[in-house]
Amino acid sequence: MKKFLTLLKVSIQSMLLSSTNSRGRSRKKAATGLGAVVVIAGLGLYLSGFYSYMLMQALAPSHMEILVFIFMGMAALVGGLLFTTFAVKGVVFGGKDNDLLLSMPVSSTLLMASRVTAIYLENLLFSAFVLLPAGVVCTMLTQSGVGHSLLFWVRLVIAALTLPLLDTALSVLLGALVAFLSARVSKGALGQNIVMGLFLVAVFYLSFNLNGMLGSLAANPAGVKDALSWAAPLLWMGEGIMGDWGLLLAFAACCVIPFALVVFGLGRVYRQAVTAFAARSAQSNYKLSAQSASSQKKALLRKEAQRFFGTPMYFWNAGLGLIMLLAAGAASLVMREKLLAFVGMEDFPLLPMAAAVICFCLCTCPIAAPSVSLEGKYLWILREAPMPGSTLLWVKAGFQLLLTLPCTVIAGACISIALGFQLWQGAALLITALLFAVGHAMFGMLMGLTFPKLDAVNETVVIKQSLAVTLAMFVPMAALAAAGGLYWLGSQTAGWAALALPILLFALLTAVCAAVLSKRGPVMLQAL
Amino acid sequence: MLRIDHYSKTYPGGKRAVDDLTLHVRPGEIYGFIGHNGAGKTTTLRAVAGVMDFTEGTITIDGHDIKREPVAAKQVTAFLPDNPDLYEFMKGIDYLNFIADLYDIPADQRTADIGKYADAFELTGNLGSPIGSYSHGMRQKLALISAFIRRPRLLILDEPFVGLDPAAAHLMKGYLADLCQGGSAVFFSTHVLEVAEKLCHKIAIIKHGRLVKSGPTAELVGDSSLEDVFLELEGEK
Repeated sequence: MKKFLTLLKVSIQSMLLSSTNSRGRSRKKAATGLGAVVVIAGLGLYLSGFYSYMLMQALAPSHMEILVFIFMGMAALVGGLLFTTFAVKGVVFGGKDNDLLLSMPVSSTLLMASRVTAIYLENLLFSAFVLLPAGVVCTMLTQSGVGHSLLFWVRLVIAALTLPLLDTALSVLLGALVAFLSARVSKGALGQNIVMGLFLVAVFYLSFNLNGMLGSLAANPAGVKDALSWAAPLLWMGEGIMGDWGLLLAFAACCVIPFALVVFGLGRVYRQAVTAFAARSAQSNYKLSAQSASSQKKALLRKEAQRFFGTPMYFWNAGLGLIMLLAAGAASLVMREKLLAFVGMEDFPLLPMAAAVICFCLCTCPIAAPSVSLEGKYLWILREAPMPGSTLLWVKAGFQLLLTLPCTVIAGACISIALGFQLWQGAALLITALLFAVGHAMFGMLMGLTFPKLDAVNETVVIKQSLAVTLAMFVPMAALAAAGGLYWLGSQTAGWAALALPILLFALLTAVCAAVLSKRGPVMLQAL
Repeated sequence: MLRIDHYSKTYPGGKRAVDDLTLHVRPGEIYGFIGHNGAGKTTTLRAVAGVMDFTEGTITIDGHDIKREPVAAKQVTAFLPDNPDLYEFMKGIDYLNFIADLYDIPADQRTADIGKYADAFELTGNLGSPIGSYSHGMRQKLALISAFIRRPRLLILDEPFVGLDPAAAHLMKGYLADLCQGGSAVFFSTHVLEVAEKLCHKIAIIKHGRLVKSGPTAELVGDSSLEDVFLELEGEK
C-alpha cells in the first residue's frame, strides 16, 4: 500500500505541477496557476448547474428528476471519455518514466493501478462537477421532496464516486486501443484522427438535436425513460440516487467490477503492453532520391504542421475550435431556416452574438500556447540553428494563424450569408473576429513563454493540463466577456460606439501582445 | 576558428560552473576537452554552440561573436549534445531536410551529402522510418549525419563516442580527420582518453571549472600517457 501511495503521489504531483507550474520557485506563478484552476472549476460548476437547471425545470413538474441524473451521468461519462482516452495513452502507457519505474521492485499491476488511479481522479472531478450541481438543483426545484434528506446526498456521493470507475475502465481500454494502433499502424495518427472525428460527429449530431430532444422530454418524459433501457446502469444510478438502494448497489457493481477487471487483467500484462506499444521497428527499405530545398520559415512551419497533425492529442485538444468554426459556418447555412426562425423569436442582437460564437471557438484553439513546451528536450535543435529567436516565435504564432484565419473567414462569411447581414455588418464581423484571432495567437505564444513546461513526462500534461494552455483559453474568454460589456455600454449611447468599442479593445490588446512578444519574446526564449 | 576568452558561467544559486576559461582552437585542429563529471565541459560546449547564455567573457567563431552575431556564428557551426534528442514524429529523411533547410543547404549538395554519409553509416534504408522507431545508436548516427551535411567550419561534439558501435566510431574519426584537412576545426569532450590521445592535436584539461592544463597532445603527454597525466592532475588539490 505504501508503494502504491508513493507511485500515486508521483503521478498526481506530475499532473498538479503541470497544471500550476509551481515548483516552489515562484509564488506568483503558483498563485496564477491555482487561480486558473479555480476559474475552470467555477466555470465547470456553472455550466453543469445551468444545464441541470434547464432539465430540472422541464422534468421536476412531472416528478421525473431521475432523468436529469441519467442525462448528467451520460454527460460525465462522455466528457470523461473524451478528455481522458488520449491521456491514458500518455499517462498510463507512454510515460517517459516507464523504464525507470518498471525497473523498480514493484509489481507491474501496482504501477498500472497507481497510474489508472490518477486517471480516475481526473474523471472523479468530471463526475463531481456534473452530478453534484445536479443534486443542488434537484434540492432546490424538486416537487416530490427528494433531495431534502441527508441520505439523498449520501447516495449521490456514492454515485459520484463510483461512476468515474466505469469511465476510467472504458477510457483505459480505449486508450490501450489507441496506443496499440499508434504502434502497429503505419498511419497511426490518421487512424486515431478518424476515430476521434467519428466520435465528434456523434457529439455534434446530439448537440444540434438537443433542442428537439428537450422538447420531446418535456412532452413525454416517461416514454423517454422507458426508451433508455439500453443505458441500464445509468438508469439504475438514477433510480439509486432517487432512493432505491438495491439499484444503487447494482450500479456500483457495474462500475467497480469492470474497473477491477481492467486493472487486474491489464495489470498482469502491463509490462508486455508497455513494451509492445513502445516498440516500433524501423523499416530498412528506403531509397534515397533527389531532395528539394525550401526556406527556413517553410521548414519550421512544416515541422509545426507535422507535430500538430501527427499528434492526435495535440490536434484534438488544440484544434477542436477549428472544426467547431467550420461546423458552425456549415450548420448556419444548412439550418438557415431554423436559425432565422429561432433568432426572429428571441429578438437577438445578431452581429455581436455571431462575433461571440466565432471568438469563443477561437478561444478553444490554443495551438501556439503549448508549442514552446512541446519543444522540451528538442529545444537545443532550434537554439543551435542559425536564426534569430524571433523567427521561431513568429513562425509558431504564424502557424496558429495559418489555421485559424481561413477558418474564421469561412465561418464569418457563412454566418453573414445565413443571417442576411449587410456588407458593412459582415465586414465588421470579420474585422472583429480576425483581430481577436491575431491577438489570441500572440497571447498564447506569450503564455507558452511565461509558463513553459519543458520537462513534462509526456505530451498529455503539456497539452491538456499546462497552465499556459489553460490561460490561453480562459483569459481570451474573459477579454471576450469584457468586449460584451463594452458593446452593452456603447449601445447605451450610439450604434457605432457599440461596434467600435469592442473592436478597439481587441485592436489594443492585439497591439500590446504583439509589442510584448516582439520586445520580450526572444529574451524569454533565450532564458528558457 | 574558435576563441574563448575569459569565459565564466555562474548558475542561478551562485554555483560557478566555469571560471575564467581561455582557449583557442585553430583551423585544422582537433581539440579534445577533458575533465571529470561536473567539471564544466558541457556547460562550455553549450555556450560555444550558442545554446546557453553566459554573462562573462567572449566567445567568437570564425570571427563572429556568439552573443553579438549569433546567427552568423551558428551558420558555420554544428553542435551535437551528449544525448541528442531528435524529433520523434519526423522520419529520418525529414529531419535531415529540416536541418538542411535551416542551414540553407542547396538541394543537390544535400542529396549528395546525405547519400554519402547515410550510406557510410548504413542508415540509408532506415531514413524513411519515424525517428521514434530508431535505436539509440541509429539516432546518434542520424545526428552525426545532420552535423556532417552542414560542412561546418567548427564541429562541437559532446561525448560523441557514447552509443556508437566500433565501426561507426572508426568511421566518425575518419570523417573528423577529413573535416580538419579541409580547414575546419573540431572541439569535443570525451572520457575516452585513449581516443583523445590518438585523435587530438591539442588537449585541454578542466577541473572544477578552471583550465588546469592545455597544449599540443605530444607536449602534454610527454613520455607518459594521457590517463596518467589526467589522474595526476585530478589528484592535485
